[in-house]
Formats: sequence, C-alpha cells, structure tokens
Amino acid sequence: MFGKIFTVAAVAGLGLALGNAPARAEENFGSPELIAAAKAEGKLVYYTANFAEVEQQVIKEFNKRFPEIKVEMVRAPGGQLITRVKTEAATGKLIADVVDHSDRALMAELVDLFQDYAPPNAADYNPDAQISPKLWPRATLVWAIAYNTELVKDAPKTWMDLTKPEYDKMTGQVFAASGGTTWTRTMFERQVLGEDYWAKQAATHPILYPSGAPMADALVRGEIAMGPLLYNAIYPKQKDGAPIQIFFPPEGAPVNPYATGIPKTAAHPSAAKLFLNWCLSKEGQTFMIKELGNLTSLKVAPVYPEGFDPGVVKVWYPNFDQYVKLHASWVADWDKVYGYRQ
Amino acid sequence: MNGVVSRRIEAARSGIEGKRRGIMAGAWVALLLAILGFLVIYPVLTLLLGALTDTNPVVEGLSLKHLSIANFLTVLSNPNVAEALFNTLVACGGGTVIAVAIGLLFSWIVVRTNTPFKGIIAAASILPLFAPPLVAGVAWSILGSPKTGLINTAFKWAGLNWHVDLYSLSGLVFVFGIYYAPYVYMFTSSALRNMDPSLEEAAEISGASAFATLFSVTFPLIMPAIVSGMLLSFIVMLGIYGVPAVLGAPANINVLTTYIFKLTNWSPPLYNTAAAVAIILMVVTGFLVFLQQKVLSGRSYTTVAGKAFRPRSLDLGHWRWLTFALGLIYLLVVVILPMLALIVAAFRKFMFVRDAAALFDMRQYSLMHFYSIFDNPLTLNSIYNAVEVGIITAIVGGALAFAIGYTIHRTNLPGRRSIDLIATVPVAIPGLVIGVAYLWAWIGVPGGLYGTIWILALAFIARFMPDTVKALSTSFLQIHRELEEAAWVCGKGTLATIGTIVLPLARPGVIASMTLLFVLAIRELGSSLFLYTSNTMVMSVLLLDYYEGGNVGKTAAFSLVQTVLLGVLIGGANWLSRGTAQGGVVRAIR
Repeated sequence: MFGKIFTVAAVAGLGLALGNAPARAEENFGSPELIAAAKAEGKLVYYTANFAEVEQQVIKEFNKRFPEIKVEMVRAPGGQLITRVKTEAATGKLIADVVDHSDRALMAELVDLFQDYAPPNAADYNPDAQISPKLWPRATLVWAIAYNTELVKDAPKTWMDLTKPEYDKMTGQVFAASGGTTWTRTMFERQVLGEDYWAKQAATHPILYPSGAPMADALVRGEIAMGPLLYNAIYPKQKDGAPIQIFFPPEGAPVNPYATGIPKTAAHPSAAKLFLNWCLSKEGQTFMIKELGNLTSLKVAPVYPEGFDPGVVKVWYPNFDQYVKLHASWVADWDKVYGYRQ
Repeated sequence: MNGVVSRRIEAARSGIEGKRRGIMAGAWVALLLAILGFLVIYPVLTLLLGALTDTNPVVEGLSLKHLSIANFLTVLSNPNVAEALFNTLVACGGGTVIAVAIGLLFSWIVVRTNTPFKGIIAAASILPLFAPPLVAGVAWSILGSPKTGLINTAFKWAGLNWHVDLYSLSGLVFVFGIYYAPYVYMFTSSALRNMDPSLEEAAEISGASAFATLFSVTFPLIMPAIVSGMLLSFIVMLGIYGVPAVLGAPANINVLTTYIFKLTNWSPPLYNTAAAVAIILMVVTGFLVFLQQKVLSGRSYTTVAGKAFRPRSLDLGHWRWLTFALGLIYLLVVVILPMLALIVAAFRKFMFVRDAAALFDMRQYSLMHFYSIFDNPLTLNSIYNAVEVGIITAIVGGALAFAIGYTIHRTNLPGRRSIDLIATVPVAIPGLVIGVAYLWAWIGVPGGLYGTIWILALAFIARFMPDTVKALSTSFLQIHRELEEAAWVCGKGTLATIGTIVLPLARPGVIASMTLLFVLAIRELGSSLFLYTSNTMVMSVLLLDYYEGGNVGKTAAFSLVQTVLLGVLIGGANWLSRGTAQGGVVRAIR
C-alpha cells in the first residue's frame, strides 16, 4: 500500500517535473510576454537562401520546442531572393517576417529595411561576424574538401593537392559568381593559397557547378571524384552512408556567416523574434552544428561538427571591406581563368 | 402604300440592327484588346523598360530618366551571348528536325496504316508531354552521363566498346527531338484524321505510288499542321530551361534560357541584362512567327468540308511489323528507359553504381526518399496548389483562346490582325522572363494579385496563349465556311452558330487545347519562380528545390509522384468525357 502511494507520488512528481521542464527551458528563448505574443501570432514567413531541405529540418526542430508556431518558408537562390525582397519592399508587400541570406554585402545595402533586433545571448556572439547590429549570423557555413572513396585511391590532403595534374578532369568547382559563400572561398584561394592558385587549379579542367548542392550530388554519383564543398552540403550525405570522405585542409577553412534579420514591416514580429532567438541560442546552434554540419559564430562553440578539430583547423574569415570592394573585378578574373562564360 | 411603309420600317430596323451589331462588334474587339493589353502588352512594356534602364522599375519606380541602350550594347558585344544564341539555334533546330520526323512518322502510322496495336503507339506519341523538362533532363543525365550513365554501365557490362555522352550539344538535340515530337504529332495526326481521302485516291487513280502520294498530296495538304507543329515545337524548345540546365551545365554549354537564369542567379543579379537578352530571344522568335505567317498566308488548307468521309488506312503487309517495331523503340527510348532510370534513382539510397551487378543489389534500395518528401508539408501543399492553378489556367485560358481564335479566323472584324499579333507575342518570351515581367508589372496593381494563386494562373494563361490559340486555329482552319453559312442561312445568330456548329466541330481541338494547357501549367517552372509565395508554392518550384538541394533520389521520387499524378488526372479527365460523341481527352489529343 505504502509502496503504491509512493509510486503514485513519484510518478506525479516526475510528471510535474517533466511538465515544468519545457516551460523553464522556453524562458531561454525570450520573455514570457514575447513567447505568449509569438504563440498568439501563431506563424511566421521565413525567406531563406539556404536549401529548403536543410531549413525544413531546422523548422522541424524549432517546432519540437514551439509546436504552436507554424513556419512558412520561401526559399530562393541568393540573387533571386534579394530581388524578391527589394521588389516586395518597394511596393509595400514584403511578407517576410525573417530574411536569411548568405551574401552579407547584398544584405548590407538593405539594412534600412530591418528593425532593431538582438537575441538574449547577443553578447556571446563574435562581433566580427556581423555587418550591422540588426543582422545576425543565424547560420555560419564552412568550406571543406570532399572526395568519393570509391573513385579516389590516392586521396588529396590539402588545397594545393587539388592542382595536381594527376587529378585532371576529376575535380569539381562551384563558380565564383554563385553567391556569398563561394565568393568567400575564391577570395581565400587567391589571398591565402597564392595569386596563381586559380590558374593551377583551372589547369586540371574542373567541372563547374552553379551551386554546391548539385556538385555534392555529382560527387556521390561519381560524376566528379573530388572538390571543395560547403561542409553542410555534403555532410548529411556522408551521414546517410554515401561513399564520401570529408576533411578540413591544413591551409585553412574559409567561413561565411549569414546575415539574418527581421524586416520593419514584419506582420508576425514576436514569432520572428522567437524563431531567431531559438536559432541563435546555444540549443539552435548546437542542432545546426551536429545535424547539419554548420559552424557557429558564437565566441565559444558549444560543439564542433564531426571531423573538425578546432586545435588543427584554421578558420579563415574574409575582410569585409575587401569582400565588398574586390567582388566585381575578382569574379571577372576568376571567370577568365576558369573559362566560365559570363 | 402599306407595303412601302413596312419596307421602310424594315430598312430602318436593319439599319439599327446593323449599327447595333457594329457597336457590339467594336465592344467585343475592344474587350479582347483590353484583356490582351493587361495580360501581354503591359508586362512586356515593363520588361522593355527594364532592359533599357539600369534600375529595377518596381524598386525605383517607372521613370524614363535613365533610358539608355547601354544594356543592349553590352549584351550585343558579349561573345558569350552570341555563343549561347548559336547553341540555342543548333539545339532547337536539330531538335525540331528530329521532332518533325518522329511526329509525322507516327501520326501517319497511327492514322493511316494498319499497323497492329496502334493504341500503344498513339499513347507513346503523347506520353512525353507529361514529363516536365527538368524530370526529362534528370532522367537522361542518369542514363546518358559520359562517366556514370546507366547506358554506359550497360555497354561495359555487355563488353561493348560503345560510349554515349549526352552532356553535349548533340545530346541536347537528341533529348529535345524525342521529347517535343508530340507537338508535331498532335497537329499532324488530327489533320490527317480530318482529311478527305478522296484527294489521295484521285492521286493513286492517276497512277501515283503510295510513297509519291504521301509526299505530293498528303503532306502538302496538311502543311499548316506540319508548320504549326514544327514552329510550336521549336518555340517551346527555345523556352525550355530544365533540359539544357541539367545536360548542358556539366559541359559548360549555355543556351539563352540557362544564360538568362544565370544572369538572374548571380550575386548581384543582373536582371536588366537578363531582360536585354530576353529581348534578343523575343526578336528571334518573333522572326520565326513572321515566317510562319508568310508560309501560311494566301493558301487554302480547307480539308474538312460538309461531306461525310471515312479516313482510310493503308495495308502495309509485312512492313506493318516494322512500323510496329519503330513504335516500340520510341516507347522504349522516351518512356520506359527514363522511367526505369527515375525508379532506380528514386528507390536507390545513393546513385553511385559501380557496375551493372551493383544495380541489382537489393540492399541498396529503400523507400527513404519517399518518406523524406512526404515528411515535408510543402510537398502536399505544392501538389494542391499546382492542380488548382492548372484547372484555373485550363478553363480561363481555354475560353480566352477560343474567343481569340474564333475572332481571328472566323470573323472579319477590324482589329483582328492586332489581336492575332498581340496574342502571339508571349511565344517569344521565356517563362523565366515572363515571371520577372509579371512581378514588376503586377505587384503594384491594387487588389492584391501578388501572393495569390491568380497571379500564377494569369501568367500561365498569357504564357501559353500562343500555344493554345495555335492548337485551336488548326481546328478552325479546317472547318469549312459552308457549314457556318448553312447555319446563318437557317437564321441562326453568331452566338448560336458558334454554339451549334463551331464548338461541336472544334470540340476535340478545344478539349485537347485545354488538356494541353493543364499539363503545361502543372509543369511550368520558369514563370512560377518569381511569382510564388509561401502559400502558393507549386510542384515544379518544389521539384527545382529538390534538384538544387542536390538530391537526385528525392528529385526522382518527386518526379515519379508528379508523373503518376499527371497520368491519373489526364486519365480522370478522359474518363469523365467518355461516351461523348468525339471520345475522350486522350483520343482528342491523338
């Protein structure tokens, strides 16, 4: 009898504890007022330049925490997304509550569209990753080199290895004009690996891809055998069991933080804030690092993606002034060197 | 005296009647022109302005201050544009030659010969229409990639020293040719079916061989259908993005559409340059349309008259098995192989196939890609949206095309030439550019069109108006005036004549056009890209997302879903219209 009562009490106590846990955890993502207002709004419209597939996982994870808030995603490649935002904003029809973009230079031009916003853990972020106090590095992506283990016996180990004549017609590249992340990589190649790196690499006749995603797929299928890829474009495939090996080369790993903000015109500002608070929180960043293969712009990373040893890998951030100023002429140079038609 | 009065009253009445008719006719033409102005002229002007300025007309407002031809000059002096134009003309020209050969051959086999199992060949000749270009491109890249293509894997397994490479201009020509043959087939088969065989009989009685009759009587008689089908297939190829995007990109082969897409995709995007390139594309196509008008003008192609006849079929003897085999080969190449490739890709965990034996390793297969796509709430939303847009486009677009086609071909109303011209303009605008033009043109229009399913439907209606009007025109051209005149003589008015004579006779053409519209709308990608919002995401956009997301498995799985869905919908439409005088939708298309 006593035992039974004890069990009931214990179960009840456990139930209470479990019931309270999410409520307390929720407070990490915003004040009770913000959370209540966000739940009342019930939805937000999310514009992103990242891949729909990847972002769908982020939304799903967010909904585990806040199932009441529906996230409607509009996904478009970088160039189109910017035009969409500009066009809609000019006619007062911007329906986005959150805009998430890879090219910080393009976002910098639009900074007036955005409202003041900072997450509760704002002080934990590296200020160098921001171009405006209104825009936050929701996602931070890092470059690695990947190869197909079925096709490559003598694997590359460095960036310079990708220029080896023996890898003729085996490499792939995402072209320079494709977006913010690729621009970061091409800057890194020229500034760190040498003025002649492009020419040496182009001499191996790489196949050029419009974005990292089709290139990652081509690598899995064996259309190409190796090449530089954003870690988050290829890591999920390796995790699913594809014959892929990924490594961070010793010369450095170029990193591109996103710029994400809440437009002044947002119809669901509280839901937008809560969503970004969650994404930028330790929990959100940890999820994106572990499951999607991102890095983070938090000063202290909660965890690193598989295969990333912070003691060994040298992350490389572009100088933002140069990121903006060099873009046009260097991309034109790159196109010439790689014979890419623009 | 009484007689004089009543004659005068009669005369006055007919004068009033005549005036009333004149006003009605004027109002009708004005209405059509207004609709076309809204659907075509206004967006095209916005586009032109976009090409002539360096500003985004929406963001910075419509202003004539920055007008310059700088964009045009830059574009014209760019050797890459010239190369893309050259590639486009080669790919579409070569593709059209193949499409005409295949389409004409199969329409003749199906309509005019005693080839066995004609139903299968007829179905095979239409099936490629269901395949969205992106799906076709993906399927053929799985089959024909120089390094990992399943065809090359099969050759290696069979010990053959053969090699195919579809990542090439000839690969583009091949895939264009086999997939756009249905456009030629649709026109030529209905023309052959409606042709009076007595003309052929006359030729044969005069001593001409079957072969000579074919080329001296039959084909010349259905020339409007051949030219229409040929030009339509060429023009459709001009605007295709999916096939060259997948097959051309690995070999760095640009055509105008992929080049325009790149311009809009670079950061920063070069929309104004894209608009300028699009205008070059418009000029090329406009020239082709002009050519078609020249070819067709001044000749009579009336083959359907007020006499009953029965199309005859030619006894091919043993040769009928050859024609049957040709049909089977086409079915294999255009339906079975790509479907198998998609099925393999959709069910296989990864598309790395070491050798032919690895293809049959069942441990590599699973439903994971299907689970994954239906796990995504966007998938079901996009299917629902696509069907809704498809239905609106088919009904509204079909009705509008009928009104335009009738006005152009069956009336002498002033202004019909302008209507014809304006209705043809969208032919020359690739979907991608229509998307930009419509976004620019309509986002500011009060009433909140942007963000609804209607902006997509209206863009599709405008985009496919030339296709639909062309498809209907063939039906109109073949109905002899004497049938309508008979109705007038019997005292019927214009509307009654349309209702009792024209509509029933043109019905197969109307249903075929509406079905075509529905299929085209469901597949349409380019113009959707700029017009969808989170609530109106359609299947084709989601498919591109899956493709760009770099997962052939999910892309193939969703392609299969889309293909099956289209098949079910067309089958359903066919079933609904069963038992009617002219038969079902599929038969109407055939």
